[in-house]
Amino acid sequence: MKKDKKNSFNTPEGYFENFNDRLMDRIQNEEAQEGGAIIPKTDGFAVPDGYFDVITNDVLSKTVGKETKVIPLKSNRNFYYSVAAVAAIFILIFSLTWNSTSEPITFDDLANAEIESYLENTDFEMTSYEIAEVVSLEEMELTDMLGDDFEDDIIMEYLDENVEDIKELNLDDTDYE
Amino acid sequence: MNTYKERLYWHIRRIVLNHDDTDDVLQNTFIKVYRNIEKFKGDSKLYSWMYRIATNESLTFLKKKSKKMGVSDQELKDRMVENLQADVYFDGDEIQLKLQKALATLPDKQKLVFTMKYFQEMKYKDISEALDTSVGALKTSYHLAVKKIEAYLKEN
Repeated sequence: MKKDKKNSFNTPEGYFENFNDRLMDRIQNEEAQEGGAIIPKTDGFAVPDGYFDVITNDVLSKTVGKETKVIPLKSNRNFYYSVAAVAAIFILIFSLTWNSTSEPITFDDLANAEIESYLENTDFEMTSYEIAEVVSLEEMELTDMLGDDFEDDIIMEYLDENVEDIKELNLDDTDYE
Repeated sequence: MNTYKERLYWHIRRIVLNHDDTDDVLQNTFIKVYRNIEKFKGDSKLYSWMYRIATNESLTFLKKKSKKMGVSDQELKDRMVENLQADVYFDGDEIQLKLQKALATLPDKQKLVFTMKYFQEMKYKDISEALDTSVGALKTSYHLAVKKIEAYLKEN
C-alpha cells in the first residue's frame, strides 16, 4: 500500500501505475455504447504468413515472358483435308435426311421460358438507350410496363443508386430507411 | 505491382471474404492490368483504374460463383458470411461477425462505398473515380450504409 506522507490516506498497490490503462478502457467502453462507435474499427480478416512476398512471383510467372506455343499447321495439312472431307459428307447426309423428315425451326418454336431464361442469364451490357433502339415502342402498351406494382423498397433502392443527392428529393427520413 | 498489391488485396477481400478466392481474383486483376496497360488512358489515376478492374473482377467472380452453385446472389452472400466462422484467416469476434452479416444485407454499391471509406479510409474523390459515381451519390450511399449497419447491430 502507498501512503501519503502528509496525511493518513493511502491507495491500493499499483493504483497510479494502472490508472492510465483503466481510464482508456473506460473511454473505449463508453464510446462503444454510443451510437457513433457501435461499428467496430477493424473487420478481423487475416492473411497467411508471407503471402504478399509470394504473390508477386505467382503473377509474374503467369504474365511476363509467357509465350503462346505455335503449332505448325502445314505438316498436318493432308490430315485436316481428310477430316474436313469426312465431316462435309456427314453434314450433307444429315441435312438431307433432316429436311425430308421435319419442318425448319422457326422463332415461334422457341418456348417463352427459354427466351426469358436466355435474356435473364446473358449479360448484354446494353445501356437504356441501346435497348430503346431495338425495342419498338409502337408495339408496346403502357400497361405492359405498369402491370406489376413495385415495392416501395425497390423504388427507394433505385433512387438511392441513381439519384445524385437523395436528400434533394425532400423525402422524410423514415420513408427511405 | 508491389505498391498496389496489399491495397487491392484488402479491397477484394472485403468483397469476396475468403482468402483463397481473394488470391484468385487478385491474380486475375493483375493479369488483366498487365494485358490492358496500353489501353489505360491516363485520364484517371492508375490506382483508381486498378481499383475499378479489381471491383469488376470481384463482382463478376461472385456472380459466376452463385450461378455455378445454383443459388441467388443474396443466398451466396449469406453463405459466405456463415463460412467465416470456420475460416482460419478470419480472427473476428462476435461483433465483427455481426458487422459482416450487416454488410451482407446492403446493396453492392453501398457496401463498396462503406468499406472503401470506413476501412480503407479512401477519399470520396478517389472512390468516385474508382466506382465511376459522383461524390454526392457516394456520400448519400455512405450515409445510408452507416445507418443501416448501426440499426442492424443495435437490433441484433
